[in-house]
Amino acid sequence: MTSRGISVGVARCLSSLERLFRLDCGLPQRNVRWMVDGLAGALALGVVASTPAAAQDKPSAVGLGIFTFTSGPAAAYGMPGKNAADLMIDEINAKGGIGGVPVSATYVDEAQGAQGVIAEYRRLAGDAKNQVMVAALSSANCLALAPLAEQLEVPTVGWNCDTHQLLMDGKSKYVFRPNGNTVPEFIAYAMYLLDRKPDVKTVAIINPDYAFGHDAAKIFTAALKALKPDVEIVAELYPKPGSPNYQTEISRLATARPDVVFSNLWGADLENFVRQAAPRGIFTSSQVILALGETVLQRVPLPDGVIVGVLGDGWWMSPDAKAKPETVKFAEAYKARFGEYPVFPSIKMANALIYVKVAFDAAMQRNGGKWPTRAELADAMKGSKVETLTGTAQTRADNDGLVDQIVGVTVKTPAQQFPVIGDMVRYKGDGLMPQVGQDPLAWIATLKPEFAKNLPKPGSYK
Amino acid sequence: MPTIIAAAAVIVLALLPLAAPWLQFVLTLAIAKGFAALGVAVLLRAGLISIGHAMFFAASAYAVAFLARAGVNDLGLLLILSVLGGALMGAIAGSFLVRYRAIFFAMLNLAVSMVFYALCAKLYGVTGGTDGMAVPVPAVFGIVLGEPAFKSVLFYLSLGLMVLVGLGVQRYLNSPLGHALSAVHTNEIRLEYLGIPVWAVLLIAYVVSAALAGLGGAIAGFAIGRVVPDFAFWTASGHLVLIAVLGGIGGVPGAFIGALFLELLHSAAVTVTDSWNLIVGMTLIIVIMFMPQGVHGLFARKEATSL
Amino acid sequence: MSNAIIPLLLDSLASAALIFFAAVGLTLVFSVLRVLNVAHGSLYSIGGYVAASICLFIASRQLNPYLSFLALLFSAIFVAAIFGPLIERGLVRWTYGKSEAVQILITFGLFLILEDLQRVIFGVQSFYEDAPMRLLGATSIGGVVYLNYQILLIAMALLVVVGLRLLINHTRLGRLITAVVTDREMAQSIGIDTNRIFILAFSLGVFLAALGGALATPTSGIAPGLGADTMVLAFAVAAIGGLGQIEGAALASLIVGLARVLAIYLAPSLDAVAPYAAMLLVLLIRPYGLFGSVTARRI
Repeated sequence: MTSRGISVGVARCLSSLERLFRLDCGLPQRNVRWMVDGLAGALALGVVASTPAAAQDKPSAVGLGIFTFTSGPAAAYGMPGKNAADLMIDEINAKGGIGGVPVSATYVDEAQGAQGVIAEYRRLAGDAKNQVMVAALSSANCLALAPLAEQLEVPTVGWNCDTHQLLMDGKSKYVFRPNGNTVPEFIAYAMYLLDRKPDVKTVAIINPDYAFGHDAAKIFTAALKALKPDVEIVAELYPKPGSPNYQTEISRLATARPDVVFSNLWGADLENFVRQAAPRGIFTSSQVILALGETVLQRVPLPDGVIVGVLGDGWWMSPDAKAKPETVKFAEAYKARFGEYPVFPSIKMANALIYVKVAFDAAMQRNGGKWPTRAELADAMKGSKVETLTGTAQTRADNDGLVDQIVGVTVKTPAQQFPVIGDMVRYKGDGLMPQVGQDPLAWIATLKPEFAKNLPKPGSYK
Repeated sequence: MPTIIAAAAVIVLALLPLAAPWLQFVLTLAIAKGFAALGVAVLLRAGLISIGHAMFFAASAYAVAFLARAGVNDLGLLLILSVLGGALMGAIAGSFLVRYRAIFFAMLNLAVSMVFYALCAKLYGVTGGTDGMAVPVPAVFGIVLGEPAFKSVLFYLSLGLMVLVGLGVQRYLNSPLGHALSAVHTNEIRLEYLGIPVWAVLLIAYVVSAALAGLGGAIAGFAIGRVVPDFAFWTASGHLVLIAVLGGIGGVPGAFIGALFLELLHSAAVTVTDSWNLIVGMTLIIVIMFMPQGVHGLFARKEATSL
Repeated sequence: MSNAIIPLLLDSLASAALIFFAAVGLTLVFSVLRVLNVAHGSLYSIGGYVAASICLFIASRQLNPYLSFLALLFSAIFVAAIFGPLIERGLVRWTYGKSEAVQILITFGLFLILEDLQRVIFGVQSFYEDAPMRLLGATSIGGVVYLNYQILLIAMALLVVVGLRLLINHTRLGRLITAVVTDREMAQSIGIDTNRIFILAFSLGVFLAALGGALATPTSGIAPGLGADTMVLAFAVAAIGGLGQIEGAALASLIVGLARVLAIYLAPSLDAVAPYAAMLLVLLIRPYGLFGSVTARRI
């Protein structure tokens, strides 16, 4: 056992040296690099000649770096993702892993901040075993990791982050998001709101103070104004993510007396906000939209009629999901293991892992059954169309994903103790997305009322 | 003999990333923090404890990001300008902060740094809020490098700077100006009677320490590729003081030894345990309680702290 | 805006009450022990965790929900009884007479340890228990619905200010504390057991910290990181009021509360800046804080 460990360790060192050496030759600035890494090259030259090219042999395990929040207020959202990953990986391994190779995941806690997340990403990427990164949950971390993924050439699947800034330049080779982005997600809410409450005049917004919150506010406002120009935004609040206390913000919302309160708070922030806002009458005086409301349905007693959705199609009780036996099985196994039904972050994680597995299978099919390299995996992800637990994820030319958007309102059901989503609509993913390379906000400004007329109506998805 | 040991240590550091490439990032970051801790240690000489130096660390990193956004794209120029930026901020903040001593100095530094932190976090339109700003890969003497090559350049540059700046700071501390710092700690009033302007002595020390923290921040910004407000949070400042104290035994090299020790220990510990802060906290308390030479100069309580 | 004046004032009072509870223990400990306890914020969040755990237990056993009010108080006493003597005897005592740098570093080390201990014991998920808040219901004031619990908190804060003042001015313990604060050596020489006073005073500080955390749980969640945020806020308030000044901390809480609320109403993007900007402003003009003074030291 020990000798095996040592030989694995030596092999890893060697393979990393080999990588270093290979990169050396591939770069144009040989003079500078020679000065800097010359010694490495010289050292490696002697060793590499006698080592086989390890990357193409089937490894003993395939590593995935999975980034999610496992601590802090965001863990309320991040842990369901990790749970789903645990369950999904067990399911994949029970069926023989990927191409016969078992999957093992290394989890990285995003709560340590961009600095730590980047350090961990580099460390994991330095190990050739880790061929794909499933990163990250937070938009901030995705934005921080994306340049790194391109530089280190590691296929990186954004399992949850949805800022439209991530893939906007269309140059991405290694970053993928089989997920949809903030543009369709929040246009969907504007459309649903206008169908359900056509006379809306005043809107207040309370979103977390970072890219996700600000982007969502911009998109939601732009879409509302394009289709109903007389809508007025009476308050815009951006509390710091992780704030435990929203009492003053709630008073501010109450004094503004808006027709609609829109929020994309999430994780523990959302739970705190709902628990503090409900007894103070916000849900009765205004129509509330909680964009990530589905994540707290099983934890916080939400009143009826709150507009909620799943930022995509990942609602485990949707008609499509119920029609798929493996999804039903997944939901029941999840409930049995973790005591709760999956929430949409769980589904997003499970779908992202399915996406990764499909990429491995496709890459191996393309290169004749050999174990794929990182570059071959990225190639396989490009333009792929993957059947997920809850629908399909189509990867566009800019590596962004097209998924459908489900929106509805909370309703009580005798079948469950918690409220579920009723009066649903399922918008087609491509219908709410601008074309590749188009500026999203400019595109939203061009929307006309006819655009809304052609969309399905609330209650049409049964 | 110490010179030989130091030279050997630097050579070992230079060779380490060849054996384990991922260490290069850890070591670069450790050296960056070492610079900042050295800045804190300079002020500790005068008995002044700053729980706010992460502000200068962050300020220079932000300066790099802003300059890069404005089109400056040369490593040397970015480093120099951002360190100057940190030093300028140190001069402005220092000109009124060095009037205070003891707990009030610590608190005011904290207050200033938290205002800075909150502004960075809240001015979403300017600083990108808690998302921070990207620090792109700059050119080195006009040569555009790929990311891995740049990171190697950055590492060896930091290593070189560590030696050069370290020697410079050593000289500064051994100069009359440096000795005056310790004198401020032991007997400030006597110093005034001798005709030495304490205010100016401390201001120079403050600017030097801010510039050191700034240099560290700029390097960290390049290494990480992103700067976020958390760079300036008070716990980050606390960690800088912690590194300075842990490494206090070794004088100027101490700050770097402390930083390297802590970062390497961290890399090793994260794979084994989550309770990293627990280890650091215990180490800190043990060092202070049982290895008082690690915090030389801190222990003699001053008779009267005059304001 | 005129219709917002009453909510604005009430919100300021409500947030001032919460801020005051975070800061008062810190300032009390400094006044007696002359130690700035950087781990104060952690004791605040531990108080919150313990209170929430007990309340959740009460809810799970379906005991009388009004017991949860008692639980809030009990958890603060519990935390104070365990951590007060332990920390004072084990660590803080050791720093008496040492420089502030040593005191800050030792308690910073303690802060790091306590933050991780909380994670190990209570996990990383956020805790939330709002039974006390729901029991009291809500009232509409000036067109805005407020929780009665928020109003209770304002009353509690007033009670603590008055109570501490009475304790210090009109009880034997208070007089002993005053004697120790005024002249430690003289107090010792006339036979006052200063060690006991230190343990008691430090435990009282821990009690107030834990009480603050416990009272905050019904209206806001607890999660890792709360300790660090609370610490720096408590620090700002204590510094504005003058370290060691209880009434000063009360006034400073009002200032910080008002600054935050005004920011949220008028310039929401600056809400997080307000407390520290206020601190900086006050300290630049009066480095000893509003109530602090260079010569005399009173509590």
